[in-house]
Amino acid sequence: MVEYRIDRRSGVATYVQIVQQTKQALRLGLLEPGDKLPTAREVVEATAINPNTVLKAYRELEREGLVEARRGLGTFVRRGLNTAPADSPLRTELEAWAVRAREAGLERDDVDALFTSVLDTHFKGDES
Amino acid sequence: MTTVVTIETSTAVAPSRGPRGLVWVMLRVHRWALWFWVLLVAVGAGALLFVHGPGTDAAWSEYRAMGCDSPEVGQACDYSGPAISRLGLANSLGGLLNFVPLLAAAWAGGALIGRELENGTAQLAWAQSVSPARWLAAKLAVPAALLVAGTTLLTLLHRLAWSSAAPLRSIVPWREWYDDDIFLANGTLATAHALLGLAVGALAGLLLRRALPALAAAAVGLLVLTQALGSLRPYLWPVETLTQKGMYPPYTGMVLDDGALTSTGARVEDPLCINDTKCLADHDIVGFYRDYHPSSHFWPLQLVETGIVLAVVALAVLAAFRLLRRRTGAAV
Amino acid sequence: MTETAIEAAALGKRFGRRRKRALDGCAFQLPAGRICAVVGPNGAGKSTLLSLAAGLLHPSDGTITVLGQAPAAAREQVAYVAQDKPLHPQLTVADTLRFGRELNQRRWDDRVAERIVAEGDLDPDAKIRTLSGGQRTRVALALALGKRPELLLLDEPMADLDPLARHQLMATLMADAAERGTTVVMSSHVVAELEGACDHLLLLGAGRVRLAGPLDDLLAAHRLVTGRADAGLDPHTVVESRTTGRQLTALVRPEGPLDDTWQSTVPTLEELVLAHLRAPEAPALRLDSVPEAAV
Repeated sequence: MVEYRIDRRSGVATYVQIVQQTKQALRLGLLEPGDKLPTAREVVEATAINPNTVLKAYRELEREGLVEARRGLGTFVRRGLNTAPADSPLRTELEAWAVRAREAGLERDDVDALFTSVLDTHFKGDES
Repeated sequence: MTTVVTIETSTAVAPSRGPRGLVWVMLRVHRWALWFWVLLVAVGAGALLFVHGPGTDAAWSEYRAMGCDSPEVGQACDYSGPAISRLGLANSLGGLLNFVPLLAAAWAGGALIGRELENGTAQLAWAQSVSPARWLAAKLAVPAALLVAGTTLLTLLHRLAWSSAAPLRSIVPWREWYDDDIFLANGTLATAHALLGLAVGALAGLLLRRALPALAAAAVGLLVLTQALGSLRPYLWPVETLTQKGMYPPYTGMVLDDGALTSTGARVEDPLCINDTKCLADHDIVGFYRDYHPSSHFWPLQLVETGIVLAVVALAVLAAFRLLRRRTGAAV
Repeated sequence: MTETAIEAAALGKRFGRRRKRALDGCAFQLPAGRICAVVGPNGAGKSTLLSLAAGLLHPSDGTITVLGQAPAAAREQVAYVAQDKPLHPQLTVADTLRFGRELNQRRWDDRVAERIVAEGDLDPDAKIRTLSGGQRTRVALALALGKRPELLLLDEPMADLDPLARHQLMATLMADAAERGTTVVMSSHVVAELEGACDHLLLLGAGRVRLAGPLDDLLAAHRLVTGRADAGLDPHTVVESRTTGRQLTALVRPEGPLDDTWQSTVPTLEELVLAHLRAPEAPALRLDSVPEAAV
């Protein structure tokens, strides 16, 4: 089971937060195929958010093929999310880049801004 | 995160005996007014029963014990004692009936309607499955039923006490049948006036929508109305006239008018000649008259006035419903 | 869902002949199943609108229909909680729930009402007059939800609640809406307490509708832009703009693509509402009259 934590000040749409947190749980293995997501009632009872938001998030997850709604039973995880493993080549490259950035005298915030800006350029239009 | 505990309380649908719906709400919300009314009726009824039985008996034995009934003492006996004072006190408690209309008006304006509109509990009821019209109907019907029951009981007891005290009335200064409070308490008017109080109070409450102003307006309004209606009383039934030559006819019943008569039978103002025959002759006074209602007019007067009061009640109730309807626009 | 919970046309309400209209020419449409926020400054007409929908007042002009009927005819399906949470002070909590049962005999559900009361640790034998503001709100909500309404009208429901109680009661409301598809309309002048819970917005100002429609659509129709003060914003509708030195910050309704010189973000609910409150002359925007696309 997953517990959602809604941050109203983040500026991120609530349903996106639910989608993101569900994906995060899938990545971390907290949710596995066959697991049941909490019902809309359970989510709103814990978070006091709009039930339609929960349904919207679940529809989005369903559209992405991550979960499926079984009528009268609930929403279930269909597949997990593969993440880049800790020793993947991508990670190695990023590590090396981070080292170079530090040597070049960049602060953590500078790196963060740079990274975000590159992400924004290359993932423009993608949700979340 | 909050854990929301779901408690499934299995409440068997309460085996509800007794009143349901709006009637239950009325009796529960106005519980203290109900108890007050029961107490008031009980005190009034107790006092009147005392007058009817032991009170009058005790007064008679006291009267005899003081020797007032012996021929020697006779009219000179200045009869007063503890038993007769007690009887007087009990009698005035029985006369509480006269305050019922005022109490009903003040309560209806203040607690029944005005306060509920002021603090929003009326709207709370209308937000349930109950239309404002049905709400007002219950607000009027339940107290009306209780007022009719209580005042009818007190009226019957008052009549009983009145009749059993009749012989005593001939000896001690007592009230007459046409005195306002006695007239009211001995007939249907007490009940009609109580309903008038309720209706006037309810209307004031709906008009002013605040408890204290409505209470005051209802009380003042009722006093004005009952004064006005009371001043009409003598004219509600044709009077009888007594005439006598040379002097005034005996004073009896509810006297409305008296004066002098000339030889042509015309009614003129009494020139106050007393026994001066020359004066009387100068004014051509041959006799005197008195217009009055004998005690046999009690019921005709009583019933005509009751009818008028009930018509006013009906008007006030109609106005109350129309006012409520105009404000809420609600279908019944 | 295409069913309409509330529909108002040219709706007006005036108290007394000489006073200003509390509502004037209001038109909007609220689909069933929504959680609608009614927002506006004090005196905007929020309470009047809710009273009209609850059938407690009669409109001076125009019409309002609730669940397809006149408000007075829909009384059984509608629950309403007034701003000051009126309850009979001399009744106990249990008696207050019985009040609900006796006056809603065809709809009342004891379990729902008793659960809400029990969640607040309320003694059923406590007199209403001994309760705190938050506890009274809880009892008032229990009374409203025990009726199992199809439409729930709440006037400033959270005003006197502490944050925990606020969260609990909002959660209770949302759970009920999730389970039964109840349409909820709640007014507030504190926008923050509605964020996340509401998916439909009705912004009132001076008795008129300023914004009406699904919240996402309304937010998407606006952009918060920053740029140089000398750049033009034509042809976009400017709701509100402020200049600080050389910088201009504005809330606009884009009519077509925005120039690249502008940095633009989608506003939050609070930014959208505040901008409209600061600019009472901004034109109204209704996005609720479009027939719902088939789902």
